[in-house]
Amino acid sequence: MIPILSVSHVYCGYHGRDIIKNVSFTVEAGTNLCIIGPNGCGKSTLLKALAHLIPYRGSIRIGETEISQIQRKTLAKQVALLTQISSVYFPYTVYETVALGRYCHIDSVLPRLTAVDKEIIEDSLEKVGLQDLRDTKINQLSGGQLQRVFLAKTFAQDPKIILLDEPTNHLDLKYQIELLEYVSQWIKHKERAAVTVLHDLNLVQACADRVILLHQGESHSSGRPQEILLTDALEEVYKIDVKKWMTNVLQKWGA
Amino acid sequence: MNKRRILLVITTAITVMLLAVLIGTVGVTAADIVNIILHKLFRLPLRPDLQPNTVSIIWTLRLPRVLLAFLVGAALGASGTVIQSLLKNTLASPYTLGVSSGASFSAGLIIALGFSIPLLGNLTLPIVGFLSGLATVFAVIAFTKRVDKELSNNTIILVGMVFSLFVNAAYTILTALFRESLEGIIMWQMGSFAMRGWSYVRAAVIFIVIGLLGVIKYTQEMDLLSFGEDEAKANGVETDKVKKQLLVFSSVLTGSAVALSGAIGFVDLIAPHVARRLFGSQHIYVLPISAVLGGTLMIFSDIVARTIIAPSELPVGAVTALIGAPFFAYIYFKKSR
Repeated sequence: MIPILSVSHVYCGYHGRDIIKNVSFTVEAGTNLCIIGPNGCGKSTLLKALAHLIPYRGSIRIGETEISQIQRKTLAKQVALLTQISSVYFPYTVYETVALGRYCHIDSVLPRLTAVDKEIIEDSLEKVGLQDLRDTKINQLSGGQLQRVFLAKTFAQDPKIILLDEPTNHLDLKYQIELLEYVSQWIKHKERAAVTVLHDLNLVQACADRVILLHQGESHSSGRPQEILLTDALEEVYKIDVKKWMTNVLQKWGA
Repeated sequence: MNKRRILLVITTAITVMLLAVLIGTVGVTAADIVNIILHKLFRLPLRPDLQPNTVSIIWTLRLPRVLLAFLVGAALGASGTVIQSLLKNTLASPYTLGVSSGASFSAGLIIALGFSIPLLGNLTLPIVGFLSGLATVFAVIAFTKRVDKELSNNTIILVGMVFSLFVNAAYTILTALFRESLEGIIMWQMGSFAMRGWSYVRAAVIFIVIGLLGVIKYTQEMDLLSFGEDEAKANGVETDKVKKQLLVFSSVLTGSAVALSGAIGFVDLIAPHVARRLFGSQHIYVLPISAVLGGTLMIFSDIVARTIIAPSELPVGAVTALIGAPFFAYIYFKKSR
């Protein structure tokens, strides 16, 4: 079976300088691949290349099609990206913002939503628990609520693959866990998959099907979570004994 | 709720338009105006009690003046909205990109040299003004692209400011060199709709329809672009193409507005702001409403300009600035508090 996403020997970066060097991996349908690594190792840059926001060398394929050959609107039906939001410039309502996720499915010049569009928007709002805030202006939301709005927008886009760049930022523990559960449920449905950049290795343990560890723009190692998280790989890259630290903390919890 | 507000905006626009034609030294009634318009357009008979002089004042002076004011205001309102969404800043305006300084400079040059292109006649000024406004924007974008391939908004704003300052300096030198044309140049820059006539209205209609059609098809893209370029791209917007087209067509709007009436500021700032207040952020509402509000505001400012010290006139640019500057300060400081 062909993987839903195949990345092979990819180089990319900014201003002619490569930040990602020779990275290859595949993502199977129904799985969540987590990208981990220290600050500045190129995780966000890699996600941008996967959404074709920046040019790349090498090959990134969805099914059998190279993403650089796909028109943006068509690509947006296949891949959605949840970026790290910096700020909100205009006070759209929650509903209007989530509805923008349907853009790639609308063929008319006017933003006319069909019954199907509306149903998907409702469904996305419900998934992240924002039905009651639908008419609230997004500049009045907390960071966590805003993050959920953008996640709902990503769901509304109804893609095959979602790319999540540190989606648990700004969220309290309850919503961190809930968000990752939404994502796990979401990928179980039809031919879908997720690629998630995460800092919190506990969350990686909880939700990853596969893990790729980046170090200075290169793939240091990849495999199932227990293969990566429980070996010396982490210590080599992060320069601390992660497992020892984690176990010490857990002992304080009385585990 | 939106429907009622749309109706309110349109009713206000029509009322202000009618008022503008009614107000003046020669008194007329609304019925007279309708009669004159029908006579001119459909050859319906004029009422015998209407003086030819009155007919001429309404038809050749007031009506084209009001229509031109509306069209120019609409162009500025619409292009202001576009630029604000592109630059993700409600305090940005097309003037930020150097359109008005480019147009002002070449218009000043034409007035100073008393120069006129054959065939274009009295449209030399607007057409050259428009082209040089457009040229300034292209220069700003080309230069921005050289220093910053990503065409990031901060760079565009900064380059626009630098170009504007430079062109303004050239403009100042022009006024110093051609002292005998000083009055004409300065009056032009401050803006007026007086004595423009129907040829200006026709030119305005052409440019403004082209400009509006060019931007109105991108309301969804503007919504997405106002969340940032990466966000828009990831949602399927061909950002390079859309951004370029929006810049070109909004320059057509601003350039022709400036060229036809002078550099009238603040309407492009106030109209989108009020539109957003009334209708939220979605550009499918904000864009057309900004155009209508911009037109209405411009007619209103023009009424003030020609009545407040009648029989003399103030330049309309002075009136919009008198209303606009405090308004600008108000939204700015309210925001930063």
